[in-house]
Amino acid sequence: EDAVPRQKVEIDNKVVLEQIRETIKLDPSLPWTETLVLSYPHTIDVDVDDDLKRELAFYKQALHSANEARARAAKLNFPFTRPSDYFAEMIKSDAHMERIRVRLLDESAGIKKSE
Amino acid sequence: KGKGKRRADEMEVDEEAVGIVGLSEKKKKNKQRVLLLSSRGVTQRMRHLMMDLEALLPHVKKDSKLDSKSQLHLLPELADLNNCNNALYFEARRHEDLYLWAAKTPNGPSIKMHVQNVHTMDELKLTGNCLKGSRGLLSFDKSFEDTEWGRLTKEVFTQIFGVPSTSRRAKPFIDHILTFSIVDSKIWFRNFQIMEKDPVQPNGPPQTTLVEIGPRFVLTPIRIFEGAFGGATVFSNPEFVTPAATRQLAKRAKGMKYNSRKD
Repeated sequence: EDAVPRQKVEIDNKVVLEQIRETIKLDPSLPWTETLVLSYPHTIDVDVDDDLKRELAFYKQALHSANEARARAAKLNFPFTRPSDYFAEMIKSDAHMERIRVRLLDESAGIKKSE
Repeated sequence: KGKGKRRADEMEVDEEAVGIVGLSEKKKKNKQRVLLLSSRGVTQRMRHLMMDLEALLPHVKKDSKLDSKSQLHLLPELADLNNCNNALYFEARRHEDLYLWAAKTPNGPSIKMHVQNVHTMDELKLTGNCLKGSRGLLSFDKSFEDTEWGRLTKEVFTQIFGVPSTSRRAKPFIDHILTFSIVDSKIWFRNFQIMEKDPVQPNGPPQTTLVEIGPRFVLTPIRIFEGAFGGATVFSNPEFVTPAATRQLAKRAKGMKYNSRKD
């Protein structure tokens, strides 16, 4: 009963925030290919605890942006798609991908067994 | 003689060409370098998250752990020593809570965030893959435009997470996309591989599909400071509850349950 609810002081200094943004902002004349930044024109309004719906919303956002980026890249003549004969080091090693594949196979085998 | 003269002529032409290019502002480049480091006491999962970020962002310079948690003012100097103009600093507390500072050095601002729900690329659930060092697209949802702190965060993240074209290890193609979305006043991070062909119908029309690569994490903004790792607070999140307080509350609730049973 003796606990006094502590009111947290909210600070939201919009003027200074905007000033800071103006000072660090990238040159607006930079071509899009330098930043590759895209804005999704919708807000994501889903129940956070619903994993499936939430992830679907993120997927939709990414897909929308990816398609927009492709259109922009085509307009600017900017290489986008990796040609099928271009090989380079990947972020996940072949061994790692193999482990993922084996796991997927195991899972599907398990499902088949239980059927 | 003639040869020498021709060369000189060519050089003149070259200079002119350069001048023209400079005038048409084609030479403008987005130059960013990010210092990535952590405090002492990071767990294996936190370390792997850092490794993932290092692999994803070729313009990152990783440095060794910072010894003292009270001497954050050393960080701008460290960034300067490494020719970096951004810093990502992971601060681990009590071996379980992770905070992330995203800062522009040397003049700020810096954003302090609480990191939760970390899943790294090592986990085997995510089947995507992409070129090491390819430049990722950045996608922000509309909520970033709704608040002033959101706009500032978007600007800082654009500079930190966007791989500049000048980065030495950057690859010329685009095959993944990083998404930032604000849901439940938290920032959710995802990374997807962009596939041109539908794996189910390899001969069908080219259609973009995405496969998640990882890592995943959720950031709760806590405060935004004016300077780099210090300075006046210009934003504080009133909804943020420290993880210690949350645990304490949970523990107390448990204790209450025991007390009522005992009586």
